Amino acid sequence: MPDFARAQLRRQRINFALFLGPALVLLAVFFVAPVIIDVVLAFTDMGRTLAVGKFTLENFERMVTRDTRLLGALGITFIFVVTTLGVFNVTFALLLALVTTAVPQRLGAFFRAVWLLPRMSPSVVYALLWLWVVDPNERGLLNQIVVHVFDMPPIDLRNNHPLLVIILANGFIGASLGMLIFTSAIRSIPEHLFHAARVDGAGSLAIVRHVTLPALRWPISYMTIHQSLSLLVSFEYILLITGGGPFYDTTVFSLYAYRRAFESGEYAYGAALSLILVVIGVVAALALWRLMDMKRLLQPPRIEVH
Amino acid sequence: MATEHSIAVGTPAARPDWQALARRTWRTRFTGQSALLAFLVVVSVPIILPYFWMVVIAFTARTGGVGSDVLWTACAVIVPAVLVYSLVHMSVASRRLRLATGLILLAITGTLLVALVGERLHLNNFRFLWRADFVEELRSKATSGAQFPSVWRAFFNSLALAVSQTVIILTVASLAGYYISRFAFRGRNAFLQGLLVLHAFPAMTLIIPIFLMLYWIGLLDTIIGVMLVLAAIELPFYVFVMKGFFDGVPWDIEMSAMTDGATRRQAFRLVVLPQVRVGLIAVAVFAFIRAWEEYIFVRTFLIENTNWVMSLYLFWVADDVMGVDYGIVAAVAVFYVLPSLLLYVFCQKYLTQMTIGGIKG
Amino acid sequence: MARVELKNLRKEWLGATAAVAGVDLAIEDGAFVAVLGPSGCGKTTTLMMLAGIYQPTSGEITFDGARVNDVEARGRNVGIVFQSYALYPNMSVLDNIMFPLRFKAIERADAERRAREIAALVRVDVLLDRRPSQLSGGQQQRVALARALVKRPHLLLLDEPLSNLDAGLRLTMRTEIRRIQRELGVTTILVTHDQIEATTMADRVVVMNGGRVEQEGAAEDLYERPDTLFVASFIGSPPINLFDGAADGSVLSVHEARIPLAVSASGPIVLGLRPESLQVGEGGTPARVTAAEPMGREVLYTADSAFGVIRFLEAGAEPRHREGDNVPLGFAPESALVFDKASGRRLDVRIAA
Repeated sequence: MPDFARAQLRRQRINFALFLGPALVLLAVFFVAPVIIDVVLAFTDMGRTLAVGKFTLENFERMVTRDTRLLGALGITFIFVVTTLGVFNVTFALLLALVTTAVPQRLGAFFRAVWLLPRMSPSVVYALLWLWVVDPNERGLLNQIVVHVFDMPPIDLRNNHPLLVIILANGFIGASLGMLIFTSAIRSIPEHLFHAARVDGAGSLAIVRHVTLPALRWPISYMTIHQSLSLLVSFEYILLITGGGPFYDTTVFSLYAYRRAFESGEYAYGAALSLILVVIGVVAALALWRLMDMKRLLQPPRIEVH
Repeated sequence: MATEHSIAVGTPAARPDWQALARRTWRTRFTGQSALLAFLVVVSVPIILPYFWMVVIAFTARTGGVGSDVLWTACAVIVPAVLVYSLVHMSVASRRLRLATGLILLAITGTLLVALVGERLHLNNFRFLWRADFVEELRSKATSGAQFPSVWRAFFNSLALAVSQTVIILTVASLAGYYISRFAFRGRNAFLQGLLVLHAFPAMTLIIPIFLMLYWIGLLDTIIGVMLVLAAIELPFYVFVMKGFFDGVPWDIEMSAMTDGATRRQAFRLVVLPQVRVGLIAVAVFAFIRAWEEYIFVRTFLIENTNWVMSLYLFWVADDVMGVDYGIVAAVAVFYVLPSLLLYVFCQKYLTQMTIGGIKG
Repeated sequence: MARVELKNLRKEWLGATAAVAGVDLAIEDGAFVAVLGPSGCGKTTTLMMLAGIYQPTSGEITFDGARVNDVEARGRNVGIVFQSYALYPNMSVLDNIMFPLRFKAIERADAERRAREIAALVRVDVLLDRRPSQLSGGQQQRVALARALVKRPHLLLLDEPLSNLDAGLRLTMRTEIRRIQRELGVTTILVTHDQIEATTMADRVVVMNGGRVEQEGAAEDLYERPDTLFVASFIGSPPINLFDGAADGSVLSVHEARIPLAVSASGPIVLGLRPESLQVGEGGTPARVTAAEPMGREVLYTADSAFGVIRFLEAGAEPRHREGDNVPLGFAPESALVFDKASGRRLDVRIAA
């Protein structure tokens, strides 16, 4: 092989290692390896000692037969995901997008910024605010209104209706992403379509129905899948606001796995529970990937020399 | 054509009453817009109010009480001012008049606020910044868990975590993004698709095995461990973002660098990288803020209370002190939020440039 | 049908110069008017204001004498065909055409019948089940036309209707639109930058520039008696030859040429000579040909003359003169146009025979 070609090849290999190497290492260590570990772990009996005693199927057996809390967690998860998704992440997000694009530009942008505040604040701060708002004694913001404006005794949302609290808390966060995506989609509808509809005699509602919504079909489906996955898997706000309680009343499936592992010390069981989520996650990720437009991302490069 | 007269337009019925139509137009437009605005205000109040409350408490509350009269007074002053201004804004078209009204209202609100609540403002709630023992002082007994460190320790830990994580991400994502964008290699398509799947895949599900992995490597309970995890989890996203920026650099620049005698590596360092400065800044700011606000990984992996970061600090202060002194907790929260808020505000134009495959982030 | 009037219409966008700076226009019931001008001259903005999509900053729009400034687009009963056609992508052609009828109190059966009638008129009746994405440009345009006409509008507005079509289609649609307008008798306003479109389709042409009306009238009037330099140079293809010169009493000096004037004038002027009014013949000023461009039916020559660089036309596919040839160029005195250089307005000056 002539010198030039050999040097090229060597540089090519170095380039590959130099540029892509670090990324590959990080991804392999923190994505691929954990998945494998999780699979293996699910079949062990690792407990508080963090030592592997034996390989066993009893985690799965426990899941299916003996774990009563699991059923509860599944039920809570179902209610939580469906309600938050249906009411906030998709519907309310759509509403916000429609309304903020129907009022003058600057006002719409202002209100969108307000609704981004929950998502943009640190989770601890956001959770703290919620705790203050639903504080059961008279100091809670909600109770101040309830007691002084409506003249009713203070209500304890946190203990009596914890599910409502976490649905609202996650809903505010969830609505903001959908709002952004839908707004962007609405803005990309050619203006002339709106003009034509108005000249044709359509009122605002008719325009929404015939011009806006048809253009949002794809973003809505994408958001629904994406947000379902997100709600299924994340538990940060629930952990911060109710801790999963009282007792296990607001413990969704993902939080249940976490608590079993880190609170009860049953790491193997937690891993087994997580495994189900991992599988769902992979399937959903593949589904989302199929929905996205791949061609633009895969444009071939134009220089072949190193 | 026989059809001509059946379609012949003729005068559509009688001549329409243009006056009535004009009136109706104005009416529907006004009520429509007002209704929409009212809706937006109503749903936004539950968000604005708590944040405002937090700021107010941070500057006015005293130990033992959480007087919200300051809050309501402030609201009572501000809300009418805003209402008046919006009415003026909607009915008057002249910009100068609107500006004048705005300034007058601002002045009135300002003086009213100062007069009514000015004396209640104090900075005592921020004493955690200069006193490390404020928790013991409040509770007059030992706190649950270990001694509370100074807030500055947590602050610098958070800073270290955020900065180092950002540096790692910038380096790795730029290198990888550039390579994917500019080089042909076997498995490029597969890699891109894999990256996309990883991006959509929820990394939270892996928290348990990652915990164990860190334990086995020996990085559990270290800032370094958290830093690596954070960098890796977000990497797919940032690689795509950087790729997007590199895609936007014209090929000609690189080609001319290479005909000028540079190797690809040199072309990258000397010519291409400067072109994506905007992208680098955007990614840096975004990554920094993300790490600054991180809670769950930090909480799970920093198990002993020796390594503190701001998010944990705030959490434990709230846990210990909240029943007794809202003010301090609010003050800590305000202090915590300030850096990310400032970054958002000042770097906004960079952040909006981020796209992933054409979909703006 | 309506008689439309624009009175001192202005449109200013925030912080920018006026897009429409005082337009006065009266359009008779049933007339077909073309608004012609370069891009940015305010013609499309004026159209949008007529439709009710933009609000005028000041001035009045009246239909049959009644002020309609404050009536929204929905209530004006105007039909508009956008340059991009703006067909609803998720509806079939039939649904697109029927769309405006949803908002009138018409039974669905009636609406469908009307839609089919108008579809037959514009000849898209065989395409009723298709989606807009399955139609060609010309077909889309006809569907847009049908949609605009189905509501029996007072006013039909067309925004650059032919510019997105290829040459052959352009010819067909020109005749089609004219035919339909004549059959239905609806007041029609067409906006375009193409003078051929304007002069061949409309009865009257309004020339706009910089937000103002430069001149309006029948196409021949604009051609033979342009009021301003702008109109003279905009109308006529190939463009008119323009030469700077000065008038001093009864002599017009342009470059090296001296022209006697029958009516006197003074001051700096611009002389306009259309390429088609110049003839090779005896007694003309000598000109040396520098280029010959065959253009199908005629040949366009560029030559150096006493006036300066001049272009003229000769009929016939084959060039009769070559580069370097000297030809005497003459013109009929009435065909020369003289403009005041400062104001651009045409001076009523006659060249002595």
